[in-house]
Amino acid sequence: MVWTGLLVGILFGIILQRGRICFNSAYRDVLLFKDNYLLKFYTFTVGLQAILLVVFAKLKVLVLNPAPFNPIGNTIGAYIFGLGMVLAGGCASGVTYRIGEGMTTSWLAGLSFGLTAAAVQRGVLSFLREGITKFNVFADHTSGIYMHSSGATLADVFKIDPLLMAIIFAAALWIYTFATKTTKRETKMDWRLAGVLLSALSVFAWWTSSHARRIYGLGITGGWVNIMNVLTTKAKVDWIGAEVLGIIIGAAISAVAGKEFKLRMPKNPITYVQVMIGGALMGLGAVLAGGCNIGHSLTGVPLMAISSIVSTIFFILGNWTMAWILFGRK
Amino acid sequence: MAKYEVTKLLDVRGEVCPVPDVETKRALKDMKSGEILCVWIDYPMSKERIPETVKSLGHEVLEIEEVGPSEWKIYIKVK
Repeated sequence: MVWTGLLVGILFGIILQRGRICFNSAYRDVLLFKDNYLLKFYTFTVGLQAILLVVFAKLKVLVLNPAPFNPIGNTIGAYIFGLGMVLAGGCASGVTYRIGEGMTTSWLAGLSFGLTAAAVQRGVLSFLREGITKFNVFADHTSGIYMHSSGATLADVFKIDPLLMAIIFAAALWIYTFATKTTKRETKMDWRLAGVLLSALSVFAWWTSSHARRIYGLGITGGWVNIMNVLTTKAKVDWIGAEVLGIIIGAAISAVAGKEFKLRMPKNPITYVQVMIGGALMGLGAVLAGGCNIGHSLTGVPLMAISSIVSTIFFILGNWTMAWILFGRK
Repeated sequence: MAKYEVTKLLDVRGEVCPVPDVETKRALKDMKSGEILCVWIDYPMSKERIPETVKSLGHEVLEIEEVGPSEWKIYIKVK
């Protein structure tokens, strides 16, 4: 069932490319340009996914698997990831889909990200991850829709039914989404359409991935680690590795079809050094945090996982710190 | 070709996000009222985001000209 990962990835890549979905921009634009276009996309899709995931879990189509909370990984690791994405010129998904658009800086950022993530996951730096994993906090869920030995969600914290929690959560996000002014942008795919498509894909991804015995939804970091394993050992491509390859293929198809494919190179070669450092920080941070902006922010926050909510806050803090250092000062 | 009397040309092709946006903002800050800035970009997202940022700062976007495959020139008149 690995091929379903490739299919999901291709669709994901097309949506990312058309919707220009980059969390690095979503977090940063609010601070730097007072532009909330991508943040609106984000809050809209998180609310929608939160409800869909719980509904499909109650229908026993999916089993939800929120990541365990880790007080060190979800804060320090996530902060490091946030710093890295600004240097790399994109988050984990932004860098991955831009590879398919011909952005050469993203090629190096992606390689550096994957290599460092693999090193922390199972290589020379794995002692860091092992040291931190000890602090994982697992939850005793009251609802049967969650896997055993997974992390706490808002529903566990407030001790209410996950569906009711999801509705309250979505309502809060949608009040922000629809009751405040949204920055205009002439784009190929409206943020509302991108949000609906991505939410549907998220559920489909979870379902297909579960059939490949990976109980989670969309992700990036695990896929890059798998690709590095496949390149350097006799490991086989798994669902998430195929998904990441699919993103690159889908984005390339979408970019070529939209006449937006181009080999883009910066004039100052030092930029390549910057993006490689950024990619390395992202790889380190993502593995320590137990996920990147897709695993945590796009998939885990809709699960209402405490780990993912805390990680996303620290992604944003790291992002703002580095954006301020590089671009914010007068 | 000289459609506008461009005061300053900013070539930010190939730069990573959000360098084109930031450089545009910085250039506009140093320019005088009525002068024209031409921003030369090759990233589609910049083409969508820069004009909105510039407008919100009160400047006027004269034209977004397609000059090649995935290449555009944005002409901005400083307020």
